[in-house]
Amino acid sequence: MRVLELKINGDRVEVAAPDHWTLLEVLRYRLGLTGSKQGCDKGDCGACTVLVDGKPELSCLKLAALSEGAEITTIEGLLPLHLQAGGTGPDPVQDAFDRCGALQCGFCQPGMMLSARALLNECHSPSQAEIKKALSGNLCRCTGYTQIIEAVELAIAERVGAKNS
Amino acid sequence: MSARDNHGTAPPWGDEFQVIGKRHRKVDGLAKATGQAVYTDDIALPGMLHAKTLRSPHAHARILSIDTTRAEALPGVHAVITGASMPIKYGVIPWTPDENALATDRVRFIGDEVAAVAAVDEDTANAAIELIDVEYEPLYSYTDPNESLERHDPAIHEGNKHGNVSKHVELEFGDVEGALDGADVVVENDFFFHGSTHTAIEPHCAVAQWSQDTSAEGLLTVWSSTQISHYVHRALARVLELPETRIRVIQPNLGGAFGGKSDPFSLEFCVAKLSMLTGRPVKMLWTREEIFYAHRGRHPMHMHYRSGATSDGKLVGSDAKILIDGGSYSSFGLVTTYYSGQLLTGPVDIPNYRFNSTRVFTNKPPCGPKRGHGSVQPRFAFEIQLDELACALDIDPIDFRRKNWQGEHTKTVNGQRITSNGFMTCLDEAERESQWKERRGKLADGRGLGVAGSMYISGTNYPIYPNDMPQAGIQIKVDRSGLVTIFTGGNDIGQGSNSVVAYLVAEELGVEVADVRVVAADTDLCPVDLGAYSSRVTFMVGNAAIDAARKLRKQVVESVAKHWEIAEAGIRMGGGVVLDLADAERTMGVREAFQLAEADHDTLGSTGSYNTPELGGDYRGGTIGASPAYSFTAHVAEVTVDRETGRITCDEVWVAHDCGRALNPMLVAGQMEGSVYMGVAEALLEEHDVNRFGLHSGPSLLDYRIPTTLDTPKINSLIVESVDPEGPYGAKEAGEGPLHSVIPAISNAVYDAVGIRLRHLPFTPAKVLRALAELESDQTVEQS
Amino acid sequence: MLRLPKFEVEKPTTVDETVALLSEKTGDVMIIAGGTDLMPNMKHELFTPKKLVSLAGVSALFGIREEAGALVIGAMTPLDQVANHPLVAERAPALAQAAGLVAGPQLRRMGTLGGNVMLDTRCQWYNQTYFWRKSLGFCLKKDGSACHVIEGGSKCVAAASNDTAPALMSLDAKLTFANADGQRELLLDDLWKSDGIFNKKVPPSDLLTEIRLPQREVKHLGAYGKLRDRGSIDFPLFGVAVRIDIDANDVVVDAEAVSVALQARPTRIRKFGESLVGTTLGSPEFEKGVQAAASLGHKQCRPMPNVPGDHEYRHAMVPVYLKRTILAAAAGAGPVHAV
Repeated sequence: MRVLELKINGDRVEVAAPDHWTLLEVLRYRLGLTGSKQGCDKGDCGACTVLVDGKPELSCLKLAALSEGAEITTIEGLLPLHLQAGGTGPDPVQDAFDRCGALQCGFCQPGMMLSARALLNECHSPSQAEIKKALSGNLCRCTGYTQIIEAVELAIAERVGAKNS
Repeated sequence: MSARDNHGTAPPWGDEFQVIGKRHRKVDGLAKATGQAVYTDDIALPGMLHAKTLRSPHAHARILSIDTTRAEALPGVHAVITGASMPIKYGVIPWTPDENALATDRVRFIGDEVAAVAAVDEDTANAAIELIDVEYEPLYSYTDPNESLERHDPAIHEGNKHGNVSKHVELEFGDVEGALDGADVVVENDFFFHGSTHTAIEPHCAVAQWSQDTSAEGLLTVWSSTQISHYVHRALARVLELPETRIRVIQPNLGGAFGGKSDPFSLEFCVAKLSMLTGRPVKMLWTREEIFYAHRGRHPMHMHYRSGATSDGKLVGSDAKILIDGGSYSSFGLVTTYYSGQLLTGPVDIPNYRFNSTRVFTNKPPCGPKRGHGSVQPRFAFEIQLDELACALDIDPIDFRRKNWQGEHTKTVNGQRITSNGFMTCLDEAERESQWKERRGKLADGRGLGVAGSMYISGTNYPIYPNDMPQAGIQIKVDRSGLVTIFTGGNDIGQGSNSVVAYLVAEELGVEVADVRVVAADTDLCPVDLGAYSSRVTFMVGNAAIDAARKLRKQVVESVAKHWEIAEAGIRMGGGVVLDLADAERTMGVREAFQLAEADHDTLGSTGSYNTPELGGDYRGGTIGASPAYSFTAHVAEVTVDRETGRITCDEVWVAHDCGRALNPMLVAGQMEGSVYMGVAEALLEEHDVNRFGLHSGPSLLDYRIPTTLDTPKINSLIVESVDPEGPYGAKEAGEGPLHSVIPAISNAVYDAVGIRLRHLPFTPAKVLRALAELESDQTVEQS
Repeated sequence: MLRLPKFEVEKPTTVDETVALLSEKTGDVMIIAGGTDLMPNMKHELFTPKKLVSLAGVSALFGIREEAGALVIGAMTPLDQVANHPLVAERAPALAQAAGLVAGPQLRRMGTLGGNVMLDTRCQWYNQTYFWRKSLGFCLKKDGSACHVIEGGSKCVAAASNDTAPALMSLDAKLTFANADGQRELLLDDLWKSDGIFNKKVPPSDLLTEIRLPQREVKHLGAYGKLRDRGSIDFPLFGVAVRIDIDANDVVVDAEAVSVALQARPTRIRKFGESLVGTTLGSPEFEKGVQAAASLGHKQCRPMPNVPGDHEYRHAMVPVYLKRTILAAAAGAGPVHAV
């Protein structure tokens, strides 16, 4: 057991956790950040995806003890961070997912939306092929991915539209 | 059908719908998008214990003894239970209760539940599981269903009158032999449909809290990731020997189900019992591996079909013999066995039809209902045979289906009532959008187009346990704040049923969807509903919602009319505003209108319900598969076959689906796309099976390969609206039908592409290469 | 949730510190790099070390640089950096392609090149939970004595499944290991032994610090081909890296192909170059040579039912993937995979 100092969604939090606990377990069961989901136990499904220094990683394979120092963003962080940045309402990715019907059961989507958010941070207007590749580590069982890809394209289109206007 | 159930298909206010038929956000979409939505494993209660299950390492064995002493002695362990703790058998079908929460005397597959432990944390519970000593006497185990058909000693379920046969159904309608004798073309083949499983991304989870209240028994609350809270409620009462009033079942947000969360499961009973024993809340979260053992997925079916047509392209009859591999327990198997025959009799008319279906037990994870329960497999075989007949008769396969369409407002050969039937439009749409006529037969080598069609139920009038009470109930509370609260026992499993009832009630009451809250799937708070299965929710719960809302609407309109001193017919409500049609200046908010009504009628509330009319054929089993309405689907699939690797790529799918009326086209499209995705996955990638040791061949999301973004075809959803006379505003199901025929459409497209008939699923590249080699050698023989 | 067995984590910041920690108690101490292979394996109780030594804080192990003409990649460099680095794309296209096809995006971000080289071998009878393996009666590789791939087999045939290994071998990569006695360099070819239980000659307590791709005297083309069921996530069912050296006139002067996911170690296809050397890219002779090279691969590569999937099919795919990968390399294209 050690006391970890983690940077989560802009906060510094101290949390005591045994070394064999994953970041996912600490997020969910120590910090109450249950938005990160567990679907497969071992890195096969992507539901536990969080952003580590802006890049998607799997919190079920990442030890909490090795997560100190990095900026960790979970799904709970997107809306507040968007507000902090001067936006209104949810992050445009979250909003687009909702408007496109991409949230059926919603269980895989926190991870999916974070993968999409990372892609959009990295690339201004990714192609459909790039979207598919960026989301190819997040399994969804409800949507057939169609409305998910539409949602990411909508978020991109609106960003491009906003820039141009 | 009682009058209360039929509310017509017209918009409630004027000529146009205000909410229905338009894209809307889901009522819970943003809660899910922001991570606020609470799923079962997100629940943490003070003092909560964690439970784990000990499972059988044997495919078939007698339990000689279980010693839990060492486990109980481990510090941190609070309780250990075995089958002896809960000896009463249950089963989702009341006629076939053959499951125990934990095995009492025998285990029937590797992974069968034997004991459970509640401890302070998961690590301690896991350690305790390893300390339970079980002595087994291994028994002969069955993996081949053919063997279960012939050999009954040992029987997997002792005491079963029919040995290892779980259910047998034989029904004939018309004169099949005579019809086939008179046919100009008869095709006869063996088909195999493999097993597949749901793999909802959310693992099964249950939390129980027993509280001492003023009753002797106390109160048990169970939160479960179930898609049918009502059956869990009933099963808990039976097994735990508690009155139903002492149990409350709550379904939190659910992370996908697809039929895989329909049965009552071991974990629900275990957490309940462990909580009662310890006085502490208890949670059990299954690992992904355990979910593969829980299974209840698609039944493997070995099928033999014989179908014939006359030279003018009329189908004259079809004959099916089906062996169904049920795995180790009955589950919904009685229904599966009927469905394997009963649901084939449309949209193509089969004038003479016979099926002979036998479900057997094997020592494998139990099969059950998966999206398109029981009818995806026969549909696969039959639609390939239709393609073969069309080819043999040199008729375009779409035209062949048109020629044999059963029509609307008719009866199937097995006595099922068909109301609306938009199949012809489905064919037209799929044909046009895929540019079938322009492109079929003209694509490059290795590329092809295939078509298939299907129908599916919108709920069934078979309520699982016989009773005359409503199948769906709704309560609505409206108050002076302007808020509308709907209470529904329906289970939103991600398909959007909570949103659908909100749209329907918002339409009826003229309020904004945002001012409608939905309280769902809580047996203490909500009226009984039979849950999310058989594609019943939109149709049945939707009708109940309209039923309840219409009663309230009447009261509100009456009060406003009285207040304005005008006729009720002169009032319109919509978007949260009440209008006087004769005076554009006169409006009021619904809040004020609700206050008028509350003053006039006292506290406002209403109930609504739905029950099916009398349906079904007049013979034993004739009500199984009888639905108040059927959805219809046509698929065109485009494939590319790589002749060198044997790999089939499904490039694009056009799915035209008759959903009656699209209450929210965005959600309908989502159901269609998800269905197509799942069907394509079954056709090309997924296989749920055991290896030569009876062990699951790969119980993980690494080895059970569900498609990624890169493996999913482009899906074109073509919504067809036939407007069903009895559906809520004309709606029918959209969540299961659109899966069925994509699988045979792919097989038919492969035939178009490279000339091979794939009749054995899944269509692995190895099978394709073998079939191509056989075709080549056949052609060589013909040439020589 | 599937839990990790208990252990403690050490977080050294230098190679010396790391090496000292690793030499403490062999067997009870393991290295964790990206953790993408180790964590699932530990959840399956395939490894239950008491201590994990994390390399995440050892900054000397990160980065891609040129050094005296060689391309040097730190063992902790994430796979996605290897896949997308312009120097790697230019100097070692097969490696860039292979790194880009490992697992899915998140795992390429977490997983490291060193970790992929040192990946544990895989087998359908081994990469399973403790319960599953116990129900099976375990296997030769872990906790048991019987092989289920080859009945009666006494030698473990779990498959090397690292996509980057064949690419690195095709480029004559050298590895630098550090231990308490100092550093040593090893040709990647010499790392392997044909033992699925542990397919490396270097003990697990030695620390892989960097991977060095020597400067090549002649221009080369390269590509990687990977057989798998899905377009992402999956391990290889068969993988092959090809290198073709050409002169200024596009005449092949040397060629190599290395396969993976067949047996315990990645293997060079013997005499592969002979069919291609002397032919001009795109010429009929070259095409003929490609066919001959593909047949050679088919003869030499014998997939076993170790990893999931139909092994006869995997065998049938050897010449197809070999041919396609050679042609992709010649065209400056690739990788070759299903999606």
